[in-house]
Amino acid sequence: MGLPYFGYAESSGALREIYDRMRERPMPPVYRPAHGGAPGIIQAHSLDPALIPKVFGTSTTLNGAGPLTWPERELVNATTSRLNQCLY
Amino acid sequence: MIADPTTTHADPRLRALGELAVIVTREPWAISRAHHEHWLAAGLTDDDLLHAIMLASYFGHLNRIADAVAVPLDYVVQLPVPSADPRVPALTTAPLVVTGRLAIDPARRPATVAALAAWRTYMFDRDAPLSRRQRTVLARWVSLFLGDGTISSPDDLTANPIDSELRALAEIVTLAPWQLTDATFQPLREHGFDDAAMFDACAVASSAGTFSRITVALTAMARA
Repeated sequence: MGLPYFGYAESSGALREIYDRMRERPMPPVYRPAHGGAPGIIQAHSLDPALIPKVFGTSTTLNGAGPLTWPERELVNATTSRLNQCLY
Repeated sequence: MIADPTTTHADPRLRALGELAVIVTREPWAISRAHHEHWLAAGLTDDDLLHAIMLASYFGHLNRIADAVAVPLDYVVQLPVPSADPRVPALTTAPLVVTGRLAIDPARRPATVAALAAWRTYMFDRDAPLSRRQRTVLARWVSLFLGDGTISSPDDLTANPIDSELRALAEIVTLAPWQLTDATFQPLREHGFDDAAMFDACAVASSAGTFSRITVALTAMARA
């Protein structure tokens, strides 16, 4: 259902390069998926590889820094997701 | 609180953050100076509020893209995952256009402002897969749905069948992303849009929603 997305094994070219670059980003272990590839929310942008660094560059400035603490940021994120009926 | 985000939290600061995330997500135009004063009294600073508004607006984009491609949750969570309900009604369209000064200057977060500017340029300053005009159509409708007075109304755009479908997509992405299904994309597919073009349309609408939501929330917070 919905539009397609592509995992690491299916990636090539620009998308593979972006996935490799994203893998090097500092990330708390809890956010690393068990499948070892790029997190699903990054894969969700795979139809437009060039968009990925724009979106997740913004994430770095918001989710990687204060003044809100990590738990406070998670509270805002989780509340937003719940209201949007999204499990992510 | 995650199962029902409208429940209150005992800690005033956390309760204020929950309230803020709810109103920024549901009806950013309804924020007022009274909210600003209430949140400050709960122990949040202007820097905290700016961070939370940008964060809630940003996360709304991730939700919308996750819904567009129906990506499954792929990391471990401690709590039982509540079920998403596609029958939940759409969010309400803004009943007013919000204009005026911003209550908090976004420049207090220069790195975020720079990242958002680069993202905005990427979304609107190119001609493929969507044309610039189609990007503008989507952004104008999104801004209307959210009450963003800094972007022109779509009323003066010449309507054509593709524009009508783009408007319909902008509406569901902005107001009811949990209702996105294969059927949502079928009309654009029939107009020749491939997967990349339809993703581009979703991403433009979702990105425009992020940018407008921040602007509307910060502007509304300065109003009586």
